[in-house]
Amino acid sequence: MRTPRALLLCPGRGSYTRESLGSLQGVRSSTLDALEAVRADAGRTPLRGLDAMPAFSGRAHLAGEHASLLTAACTLLDVDAIDPEKVDVVAVCGNSMGWYTALGCAGALTLDDCARLIDTMGAWQAGNVIGGQLIYPLVGDDWRPDAARASAVQAALAADPELGWSIRLGGQAVLGGSEAAVQRAMAGLPPVQMGSVNYPMRLPWHSAFHTPWMGPTADRAGAALAGLGWRAPRLPLIDGFGRPWRPRWADPAALRDYTLGPQVAQPFDFSAMLTQALGDHGPDLVILPGPGGSLGSAVAQVMIAIGWQGLRTRADFLARQAVDPVLVSMSRPEQRARVARG
Amino acid sequence: MAVSRAEIVDQNLVQALRALPEAPPAPLDRPLRAGAPLTGRAALDLWESMVASRHLDLEARALKPRGDAFYTIGSSGHEANAAVASALRPSDPAFLHYRSGAFFVARARQAGGTTPLLDVLLGVVAAADEPISGGRHKVFGSAPLWIPPQTSTIASHLPKAVGAAFSLARIERLGLPAPIPLDSVVVCTFGDASSNHATACAAFNAAALCAHQHLPCPVLFVCEDNGIGISTRTPEGWVASRFAQHPHIRYFIADGLDLVDAHAQATAAAEWVRQTRRPAFLHLRVVRLLGHAGSDVEQSYRSPDEIESTEALDPVLAAARALAERGVATPAELLGTYEELRARVQALGRETASRPKITDLSTLVAPLAPLHPDRVAAEAARPPGPEARRAFWGDRLPEADRSRHMAVLINRTLGDLLARDPDVVLFGEDVARKGGVYNVTAELSRRAGVGRVFNTPLDETTILGLAQGAAQLGLLPIPEIQYLAYLHNAIDQLRGEACSLQFFSQGQFQNPMVVRIAGLAYQKGFGGHFHNDNAVAALRDIPGLMLGCPSNGRDACGILRTLVAAARVNGRVGVFLEPIALYMTRDLHEDRDNLWSHDYPEPGWSVPVGSASVHIEGSGADLTIISYANGLWMSRRVARRLHLELGIGVRVVDLRWLNPLPELDLAREAAATGRALVVDECRRTGGVAEGVLTALVERAPGVRLARVTGTDTYIPLGGAANLALVQEADIDAAARRLLADEEG
Repeated sequence: MRTPRALLLCPGRGSYTRESLGSLQGVRSSTLDALEAVRADAGRTPLRGLDAMPAFSGRAHLAGEHASLLTAACTLLDVDAIDPEKVDVVAVCGNSMGWYTALGCAGALTLDDCARLIDTMGAWQAGNVIGGQLIYPLVGDDWRPDAARASAVQAALAADPELGWSIRLGGQAVLGGSEAAVQRAMAGLPPVQMGSVNYPMRLPWHSAFHTPWMGPTADRAGAALAGLGWRAPRLPLIDGFGRPWRPRWADPAALRDYTLGPQVAQPFDFSAMLTQALGDHGPDLVILPGPGGSLGSAVAQVMIAIGWQGLRTRADFLARQAVDPVLVSMSRPEQRARVARG
Repeated sequence: MAVSRAEIVDQNLVQALRALPEAPPAPLDRPLRAGAPLTGRAALDLWESMVASRHLDLEARALKPRGDAFYTIGSSGHEANAAVASALRPSDPAFLHYRSGAFFVARARQAGGTTPLLDVLLGVVAAADEPISGGRHKVFGSAPLWIPPQTSTIASHLPKAVGAAFSLARIERLGLPAPIPLDSVVVCTFGDASSNHATACAAFNAAALCAHQHLPCPVLFVCEDNGIGISTRTPEGWVASRFAQHPHIRYFIADGLDLVDAHAQATAAAEWVRQTRRPAFLHLRVVRLLGHAGSDVEQSYRSPDEIESTEALDPVLAAARALAERGVATPAELLGTYEELRARVQALGRETASRPKITDLSTLVAPLAPLHPDRVAAEAARPPGPEARRAFWGDRLPEADRSRHMAVLINRTLGDLLARDPDVVLFGEDVARKGGVYNVTAELSRRAGVGRVFNTPLDETTILGLAQGAAQLGLLPIPEIQYLAYLHNAIDQLRGEACSLQFFSQGQFQNPMVVRIAGLAYQKGFGGHFHNDNAVAALRDIPGLMLGCPSNGRDACGILRTLVAAARVNGRVGVFLEPIALYMTRDLHEDRDNLWSHDYPEPGWSVPVGSASVHIEGSGADLTIISYANGLWMSRRVARRLHLELGIGVRVVDLRWLNPLPELDLAREAAATGRALVVDECRRTGGVAEGVLTALVERAPGVRLARVTGTDTYIPLGGAANLALVQEADIDAAARRLLADEEG
């Protein structure tokens, strides 16, 4: 029987949540040890310690200097657990900060350098949140495009020069901008409730990632992270513009320039990235390692938009997930078993 | 089980990749060969496009027997055309033939943002999700990649490529906005066999003629010469001997079995065109693998030795060998990439096979002939600004003139269209300084400028190719075909090309235009077939073509305005068939009654699409006569006589539109009298009357019907022409018979 082809999608920073607490406990892993060594070198709180805290706290778990590598650690441990007998990972991508994790997974950076990149970029957020991000739906409850919501987003963007696209996230818009602009958009966008979530929703502790407000951060990164050892990836990578980076002969210098430049300060097109990954590689399923379950709806919305594997509606997707998941969240035990060892 | 040639070519390639030599690793950013611009890294990228194209061919062959695929003509052996893509920019318009798969993949990879492997396979399986044609055809096409889809297998897309190249320079000269950079190069690809085609020769001629006159024409002709057209060999050396010395077209030759050379020559050719703005011919020597198509049994006309020796020249292998020998990649890496792409393409084949197809007629034809009548009417009514009119006409506006005949009124309408919108261009044989052979375009080049109203070479294929190219770059062309008989040598440019573009691109590409054609018979003192041709059937059955035909000057203005508006609003291709014999007609019933002269209808008035007009003699209760153009003029005279002599009440219906026919108007007017006589000055077989009568049978049952038509013959010289054409006496007699039969 043919081994299913899988696309690995590394989640972004906001993924480590209350439910993730304890994920790193009792884990014996050289990967985790390597990450902890990077934390120790930088004089930061160990990941295991953060993960072992009795209660989830925004300051401890959502702040950039902790949340980034916590999320990446959970992700990388799950990637280590993927069983090549069960799935064949054919390409790698990542959402937002997940791109850094993807660089490590694909072999474009060593594990140490990957951890250093994530930890450094995250640490710069400590006491240095620049502007903010909010999220707003572009689809209805059926995950089909909702013209009124899209118009509301366009109107908000048109009305405020300090607000811009941050992430095109499937059926959701992530907007970023100055603190004042984000507050104006929070007040101005029509309230929407989907499930238990009320929109517009502010992403706490987040800067205006992937917007021009991050330009100084990109400049700083270019200098501070000059020592990273960039290589062509082992596996195909797809970036936040939807561009492929080819194994073996992608240009490492170009990969560095993108990662520390446009990836930081220009909008991140998750939808284009996933559309490209699906349409170029034909995976049978998408794997969300780590605490990435919350990205599931965005993945599904992109699949529905392009009719991937015949999925045209939310109902199609949910029905498919119930019998033969096309999207595997490794944080869900029953789905995890399909791709993980043991 | 028999092994197919596709499997053999594939297996041979795998074995050969394994056996490649391994050289010490070399830096990727150095030229692969001294003196050539292609670096190792860029060569690897091109090689991947070549491999992807090969696997797309193999997958199409694999899907076909399962009933999932419908198109197996491939690009195998031609893959070096990827180098041509890399020598160009993604914004350079590319008119590709069906073996340019690697070009398509390479350009998509160059530009990003599309999924070429998935998209090609969606085309192969005719999936409704296919992004350019929506499952209507397997084409290489993409709006973001500036690749208008071509279904041509006979180089009939070359004239529009030349037209686009010419028009880009014209847009610059006119100071109009261009949708692509002004230093773009237009590229078109075709095979050695189709380089012999008359249409291709017209394009080569037109490009050379431009260059001869120092007119910019930045077109790159790429002849992918595999030495054979289906089973017919191109004589050895023919392409080179034909084009190496072609006047005014710079010749480049490239070895498509040597990626470095192909890239170097393609780059040189593209840059030469970009810098000089003159045409070039890139002779890309390739081989054809896997036969003409999946259904082609190559063994029936090629010996096994010949097939195998051709396969040994596999350009994918040749390029891999160059990469391995120079240490740019190891054999294992190359084989790994080959197999990785195989797996990807096969996975995408599985994905596409079950994608839904077009299953209902309304979806199928939706992009064919879009029409928003209200928006078209509003656009047709949009007047030119008063300042623009004054600048164009001076102090004496057309509506201040006395009543005039049709030729003058068409002239005034064209003038107002030119005055209103700077993107309108008018061209054809003799239309500029002479003002056309019937003075219809008199003075327009002086008033609008020679850059907007200009003469073309005497070749209708070139004229219609120019119109398509101009329209695709945003101009609103109004080309003139001097006589209807001259259209027929070039009609495929409308039939197969212009009118199919929206259909095969779901409206993503459009070539809006209005083709003015002087035609029909009854010229006095200027006879013969070519100047009196009345063959309109060839126009009426072209899907999506709007065909207006006035009988008088006032309607001519209104129809022309509507055709231009439909072109602008809905991207439509329209033909305006101008009855030559009525150009100068001023009178109707008697000399100097001036009843066929009209005041110029002020801008704002138009004739709605598919609407007839009715003239009533007497009570209008007894007989309906349906006609158009010259037949209408004669019918009006007959109707007057029937009324005066017999007291008959007649309704005379002017079709005005031959496509779409005004069927509801016809049915209503026929039912009003119960008797309908159709007067069709064109041929009996395939003529307009057949369509009108069919519409009446379907929509007005019970109406007594009759017709008079022209004869199925060519129009002779002199008075003998009248033997073949409908005469007033014929109409009169038929009308009386129709009235008498019923009374009897």
